[in-house]
Amino acid sequence: MNIAVLAKASVDPNMVRADSEGNLLVDSMPLALSEYDKNAIEEALRIRDAKGGKVVILSALTWGPLAKRQREAEQVMREALAMGADEAHLIVDEALVPGSPLHTAQALKALVDKLGGFDLVLTGEGSMDTVSYQVASRLAVLLDYSAATFARKIEVNDNGLVRVVRDLETRYETHELPLPAVVSVTGEINKPRLPTLLQIRRAMAKPLKKYTLQDLGVRLEGHRPGVEELKLLRVARKQVIIEESDPAKAAEKLIEILENEGILKL
Amino acid sequence: MKALVLAHPASQAGDAIGFAQQLGEDVEITIVATGGVKDFPYRGVTRIISVGDAGPTPGQLSQLLLKHASGVDAIVAPSLKDATDAIARASALLGIPMFTEVNKLDRSSEGQVTVSRPVVAGRAFVTYRTSLPAAFTVAKKAFPPQGPGGNASVVEEQLPSARERRVGVEEKQFSGVNIEEAEVVVGVGRGFKRKEDLTLAEELARLLNGAVGCSRPITADLGWLPEDAWIGISGKRIRPKLYMPIGISGAPQHMSAAMDAKLIIAINKDKGAPVFQYADYGFVIDLYKLLPVFIEKLRERKKA
Repeated sequence: MNIAVLAKASVDPNMVRADSEGNLLVDSMPLALSEYDKNAIEEALRIRDAKGGKVVILSALTWGPLAKRQREAEQVMREALAMGADEAHLIVDEALVPGSPLHTAQALKALVDKLGGFDLVLTGEGSMDTVSYQVASRLAVLLDYSAATFARKIEVNDNGLVRVVRDLETRYETHELPLPAVVSVTGEINKPRLPTLLQIRRAMAKPLKKYTLQDLGVRLEGHRPGVEELKLLRVARKQVIIEESDPAKAAEKLIEILENEGILKL
Repeated sequence: MKALVLAHPASQAGDAIGFAQQLGEDVEITIVATGGVKDFPYRGVTRIISVGDAGPTPGQLSQLLLKHASGVDAIVAPSLKDATDAIARASALLGIPMFTEVNKLDRSSEGQVTVSRPVVAGRAFVTYRTSLPAAFTVAKKAFPPQGPGGNASVVEEQLPSARERRVGVEEKQFSGVNIEEAEVVVGVGRGFKRKEDLTLAEELARLLNGAVGCSRPITADLGWLPEDAWIGISGKRIRPKLYMPIGISGAPQHMSAAMDAKLIIAINKDKGAPVFQYADYGFVIDLYKLLPVFIEKLRERKKA
């Protein structure tokens, strides 16, 4: 099976930096492989190991400045390759920055077409930075593939059909889809493997290709919204740390706090 | 101005209708409703397209939307998974931008709107200015719909066919406890090593007249608690007087959902746990050492 995984170099929510007014200093926030895309890569590797085939990483860089971010995005690709993927393809183009799912999906469609299509395209349910939950669904219809989102379990059958258990708010639904298909996965689908040092070194030798939109022969269509503000939601917390190792004393301190704060009556 | 609202499920469509109403003066709203629902007594609703089936697939919904999207300035839906999927598919085919989980809307002139939505695991928000047509999913309770209304024409339609087929359903079990309204919440995380140990948190919650909530892995992965206990950007938002995250590392996706808590007191044996940055008071101590003693002292206090 030829499996593609959409992997995003996302701004890391654990490394948030803002100025004194709360404006996010995105340029100084490092990029990392989006959390649920790791689950997608893991799932792709499992399917490849069971059925044979190839796992190909596809990515579109949507954060600037390009000169700096390009290197970070390549590192993210190497991390995906170190997990066990066979090759990586990265779209780098000013026109995709900052990201808009409408255009990201168009660019990825052009890349999929250039690579000759895939049986299965996997990705995380949403990226860890912009969390739009759109790209998988958008890409599926642009490619005219079937689609299923929020997959907690994927079963590839030998009859060209894929069975997906979708994790919805009040229920689990099993859907059957004909290949080719795009499936987005949740964080609960599997536990992503951690690459070994040897695998990390081997990843340096695996193919990593870069493309501009011109290389892909695609012109982006549709309105690109403007970003007016990107701000931290700040809640000032006291951040008082109590390092009391005696549980009795700690418990007393805790009760004192609850009394002072009006939670417990004095 | 014309808006198309996807009421799926119909019971959760209020905010989508409210958002559509706020897009302009006298917005004409067409509703695509599932589950055979035909009653939407809100101002501006002029047409209801009723689908008898309660459970169409996102593929079917997106085609239904496409059928009625001509001349529409905005497509709006609740921010639930199936609706989001359906709207995203329709947006791709229509070539329009889409904004997920919008919680703020400002109208500007010349057919542009400004919307805000949470990003970066709920730690930040982004404000976009966009032309119409565009699609939106809206946050719960963010846009209460205005009445009264009536006189909407109702049309019944069949579901179109789609490639994907639903072949099985398993309903989730919930506790029925509403942590969103609880005044005190005790949160449990992976610091708890066994399901049986959750009784410590339950006892504590009982003594504080509160409810027990949890981080994502406790419910979605381990299934130790039903999903209505899940505090997270994909779960429930809480706004108690007191939130006590215990054995919770403090991932941003979890802590953002508790940011409206008046007071946060964390317990974690790892001094470097991110949770301490989100807390007013943080106790660096093993929960297994502190909780039994704390519970005992609370019990004594109650008797006295």
